[in-house]
Amino acid sequence: MKARRVKGLDPDGSLAENALRIAHTRLEELHSFASAARDPENVTALHDMRIAAKRVRYLLELVEPCLGQPAKRGAKRARALQTLLGEIHDCDEMLPLVRAHVKRLRAEDATAIRAGAGERATDLDPDAARSAPNRTRYRGLEALHAYLRARRYVLYARFVREWADLERDGFREALEADLARAAGATMKAGSEEGVRAS
Amino acid sequence: MAKARAISGVAPDSSFREAAADAVEVRTEELFSFAEGVLDTGDVERLHDMRVASRRLRAVLEVFAPCFPKKELRRTLREVKALADDLGERRDPDVAIAALERVGAGLAAPDRPGLDGLIAELSERQQSGNTLLARRLERVEEIDLRARLLALAAATRTA
Repeated sequence: MKARRVKGLDPDGSLAENALRIAHTRLEELHSFASAARDPENVTALHDMRIAAKRVRYLLELVEPCLGQPAKRGAKRARALQTLLGEIHDCDEMLPLVRAHVKRLRAEDATAIRAGAGERATDLDPDAARSAPNRTRYRGLEALHAYLRARRYVLYARFVREWADLERDGFREALEADLARAAGATMKAGSEEGVRAS
Repeated sequence: MAKARAISGVAPDSSFREAAADAVEVRTEELFSFAEGVLDTGDVERLHDMRVASRRLRAVLEVFAPCFPKKELRRTLREVKALADDLGERRDPDVAIAALERVGAGLAAPDRPGLDGLIAELSERQQSGNTLLARRLERVEEIDLRARLLALAAATRTA
């Protein structure tokens, strides 16, 4: 997912001012996926939201020496969200992998059973099922698939709750306000330092 | 996972440009500090640390993009992204294998052969990811990505 362009950045401006602009865009980006992510099957929206949370986190970690506690707290919450969405993503990646693996085993077994019957066979003896080379492998894989589906469900329900908590707490608005206050204090301290030095 | 190194040069009154240069220097050194032994599949944490460091470096290049010479940034960012992608190709099977081993540990013995087969398949992916990464690390050395990143930081400072 390509990051949204941040307008009005000034390389010669202060880190604090520029950081505020970037934080505003990145938080907006994060929230823009919330509606689509309400659909538990929308794997793409959940993935994009994870990337957006990661961008918020890395930005806030970077500016922590400059914007202090608000950045630190924001980074921690963004990290928790990124981690949770990452766990959901891992399930979404693993489930098709398991299905594809089982599909391959079934195809191998069918080929092996058919080969055992010979070219001119007119039917197959039920006992032939015992010669399937992968016959002992399915039960563990089915249990794994069920586990992954259940875990994905549980994690998604947790995501819904935690995102609702973030929205209820006004995470975005509060973080932007705290960062703006911290940036204001930083810039004031910087200009007073400049006056003293001159 | 290793904690991110502090960017000591970033002060409350830093300019965006100075902060960009400091951040690139620190994150570059951090990335290359994990390079040794990264192909050892017996020590998956080292690879994880290098992957996280590559993401942090990429984030720095993207956050501070307006501070860098455009053409040089594009060329360098492309190389950093490619390295991060190849680190990911190796890391993904590492994560999947660890997860399967955790699930497998809780299953009864007759349920385990299926998981062992899947782990074997993922180990093959891990090996091919390693081959890909080895090639990428050779390229990183060949083009001297570290020097290129430090030059980018220096160019930003003097702009």
